[in-house]
This record gives sequence, structure tokens and C-alpha cells, in this order.
Amino acid sequence: MNSIQRITAALNGESPDRVPVIAQVFGRAASEGGAGLGAYLRDGKTLARCQIAALERYGYDAVFALMDTSVETEAAGSVLTYYKDRYPVVGTYALPDARHLDRLRQPDPERDGRMPELLRAAGILREEVGDETLVVGCVLGPLTITTQLLGMEKALYLAVDEPGLFGDVLDFATGVATAFGRAQLDAGVHLPVVFDPSASPAAIPPQVFREIELPRLRELFSALKAAGSAANWLHIAGPSASILPMFPEAGVEIANFDYPINAGTAMNALPETCLDGNIKPLSFVTAPIESIALEASALLDAFSSRGRFILSSGCEIPLEAEAENIAAMVGAVQVSG
Amino acid sequence: MNGRPAGRLVGLLMDGDRTGAVDEARKLVEAGVRKEEIVSGGLEVAMKGLESKCTLEEFNLLEIMIAGRAVMDVMRFLYPAGTNQPSTKGTVVIATPEGDVHDLGKNILRFVLVAEGYRVVDCGRDCPIATLADAARDEGARAVCVSGLITSVIPVVRQLRGSLASRGLDGVGIIAGEAALKQAAPEDLDVDCVCDSAFDAANWLDATRERRT
Repeated sequence: MNSIQRITAALNGESPDRVPVIAQVFGRAASEGGAGLGAYLRDGKTLARCQIAALERYGYDAVFALMDTSVETEAAGSVLTYYKDRYPVVGTYALPDARHLDRLRQPDPERDGRMPELLRAAGILREEVGDETLVVGCVLGPLTITTQLLGMEKALYLAVDEPGLFGDVLDFATGVATAFGRAQLDAGVHLPVVFDPSASPAAIPPQVFREIELPRLRELFSALKAAGSAANWLHIAGPSASILPMFPEAGVEIANFDYPINAGTAMNALPETCLDGNIKPLSFVTAPIESIALEASALLDAFSSRGRFILSSGCEIPLEAEAENIAAMVGAVQVSG
Repeated sequence: MNGRPAGRLVGLLMDGDRTGAVDEARKLVEAGVRKEEIVSGGLEVAMKGLESKCTLEEFNLLEIMIAGRAVMDVMRFLYPAGTNQPSTKGTVVIATPEGDVHDLGKNILRFVLVAEGYRVVDCGRDCPIATLADAARDEGARAVCVSGLITSVIPVVRQLRGSLASRGLDGVGIIAGEAALKQAAPEDLDVDCVCDSAFDAANWLDATRERRT
């Protein structure tokens, strides 16, 4: 089986030749290709080259056309502060006052900000790996784009103080995510993962997630699927146990679960859904190799009879992660078979 | 609270009704209730009530932020700029350390500690360790709290103990929290406590204060 066949088998509850493993290696790939993070995040060709270098080194099952969580807001007009060795952050938000939403233009993925570079990366990656390895793009969820347009504090206060206007911004954000996701599919990704950290129960109560975000995620996934996405993959980090059972309502087919949630809880919450997770990200920086191997092995055991599992980290593997630890996670599936 | 029900102020704060909470605090002041009593019998109680609703699984920022905003409005009414804020429980210096600019967790901690009766000195985000240690010395802090969302700040946090010691501040407590730091054990960060939430930080401060008194 190649990687795509392996992941498809896991997704469908069939038996793959081995458990698929997807290391969430994003900016960490820069060093694998001998590039600085700054170039990696701004140049699609560099990003693709580094992702391929990381794939060749570790031999996992997916590569990522993914920059950071500020691509959409930058394309919409936010001004970012860039650093040499860390991810950029928003310096000036595109929407300092939500009442001026009508002045905001939907970004054009072919033209605005770094979106064209991400599309370029997607195209190169697909050309390189074809249908052997999964090429994963990324769009932010509507709520996360909203918090990146307004600022987290302002967005959450707006949700309470002016829910109607907040809903309008969320709808705008859903449009941004849909257009960007479609463009990524056109450029060559097999699927765009939807990253939605602001929708975590660490930030908003589950009932608010259900009321404001779930319907928009459903709309987004439906549009992505219609545009050819191979699967609907939702990634919400943190203690997401209370919202996991809602995911099928949004059409989620692969659900990430982070390290605070144990495997049993995730399986009970989503009995029919393919799960990916959940080794603690910091362990890739600080833990001994043996501990990563043990943690991976325990996860493989936990899912052995159920299947529908992709071994992964709970969230992004940190920039300063040890290469041997990434290799240890990938090696665990080879040992397990 | 001088015969006036504290429950109303507590309820308004927990609901995040900032206008109602300030109006209620004004009525309490006009009725002769001491400001310190409003803090201890209203703000602190509201935060305790919120804490009891927030488990690790169900903790949510939105509810804390809305209540915290109302708390800060009441504090600004009680102690307008230039007047002395009470610090019945001592001073705590907080910051997001150098290398990290995400300050929401720190801002939440400020709400909670102020409401719990601590005087809070906020050193902001991307704050050098030396600046933090200087502030701890200059403000007579009993603890320093650092909030970090990205793992790359861990080596920076590890420098804090030494930086405090070089200023003769060996007894100052160090608390760490937020997504990246709370993945680590206290000994890995060389801190006294790694907290899951702002309430944990307040509880740790209260507990260590009780041990000292």
C-alpha cells in the first residue's frame, strides 16, 4: 500500500498494511531542507523543497502545504510582524472595528498576501509525490479567522456584546476559508485540514461552539467536499472532549485529538470517525526517544482492535523538536506492522 | 457587607454585566460599604464562583473574559487611576516572556488575581527575563507568573530562577502557565508551580501565603 491507500483504508475502517503515521511537521521542516523559517513561510518553492526533504528523512504518510495561522488574515489586510526564527504574529488587525466589515474585501487566493505562495507549494508537492503520499493543505476555521481579523479579545467580546455583527464577521470568514480551500484543491492538495484552535473549549463553551461554529464548519466542509477534498479533517487542539461528539454533524471524517484527551475518551466520543493523535507536542523536544516510542506503542495498542486511526502528535510538532523523536514516532508503526 | 446583599454584585459580575456591576458597586459605596469589603465580598466571591464552574475540561475563556472585564470595570470605579489599589494579599509580577507575544493568558491571569485581592504589576509581552526580575525586586513581589503559548520560550523561563537569585530574590515564587508551559513539569522549567488555569495560580498563591503567615 502507498500512503494514500493506507490512509484511505484507515478512513474507511478497513485494514491497512500498517497504521498510517502523520507527523505534524510544519515549520520544523525548514531545518530539514536547510532553510530559515522566514524563507520557508514566505516562499512556496522553499516550503515544498523542505517538506520533501523531511518526507525523505522520516518516511511518514503526508506532507503539508501549510505556513502558519496568519495567512488568511494577512491576505485580508492585516499587517504581520515577522521574526527570524518564530512564526509571525498580527501587528495590525485587518478589522480594527467590526462595524467596518463592509470595507473588507474577500482576499483573492491567486493574488493576496502569501496565499499564492502556499498554492505554489501545494502544486509542487503534488507534482513531487503524485498520488503516493497525501498532500495536505490548510485553511483556518471561521472562528479562528474571525479572531485573527479582530484580535482574540475583541472577537470574544463582540460575540457577547453584538452577536449579530459577530455572525456577519463569521460569515465573511467562512467565505475566506471556502475560497482558499477550493484554490488549494485546484492547486493540487488532496485535502485541506481545517485548523480551528479558537473553537477549542479552552476558549469558548461547547454550546457556543454548537450554535455559532458548527453550522459554519458544516457549510465549509460541504463546499470543500464538493470541490474534491478527499476527506474532511478537523483539527481543534486542547481539551476538546466535550465537542468531539458534535463533529459528525459537521461532516468531519478525520478528527484530531490533542494530548489532554485519552484515547478511550476520543474513541467513545467518535466511534465511527477516523482519529489522529495524540502524542504530547513538547515530548518531541524534551522526552527521551524511548518515551516517544512507548507512548506511540500504547496508542497503537489502544486502537489495534478498533482501527480508524492515524498515529500523530496532538498538535504541531514544535520547531525545536529533536529529529530522533520524530523518527521514533514514525518507527513505532514500522515495528508494530 | 453592611447589610446589603453581596449576592447581587456577585451575580452581575459572573454574568459579565459590566454596567450593572459598576452601578451596584456605586450603590454599595453610597451605602457606606468599604471598598475593601466590596473587593473581598463581591469580586473575590464572583471569581471563586466562576472557578467552581470551570473544570479542566470545561474551562472556557469567554466566560472568564466577560466576568473579568466587569471585574476590571468595578476596580477602575473603586480605584480610579492615581488612587491606591488594595493589595491585601501582596504583589505579583506577571509577563509573557521574551520570544512570545501571545498575551491573552496573561491578561486573564491579571483579571483573576486582581479580583482575588492581589496587586498585579503587568510587564507585558515579549518581556526580557531581566526586566521581569527587576520589576519583582522594585515592586517587592512575592511571586512572578509567566505565561507561554509557544514551546520556544521554555529555555527563557528556565533562566528566571537564576535571574531572581542574582538580585537576592531567592524567596520569590515562580508560577508558569498556558498551552506550552503547562505541558512541562515544574522541575523541567525550574519553577515552583505549573498551573492549568489562572485559578490554579491564585490558589497556589493563597496556599503559599497561608503557609507563610
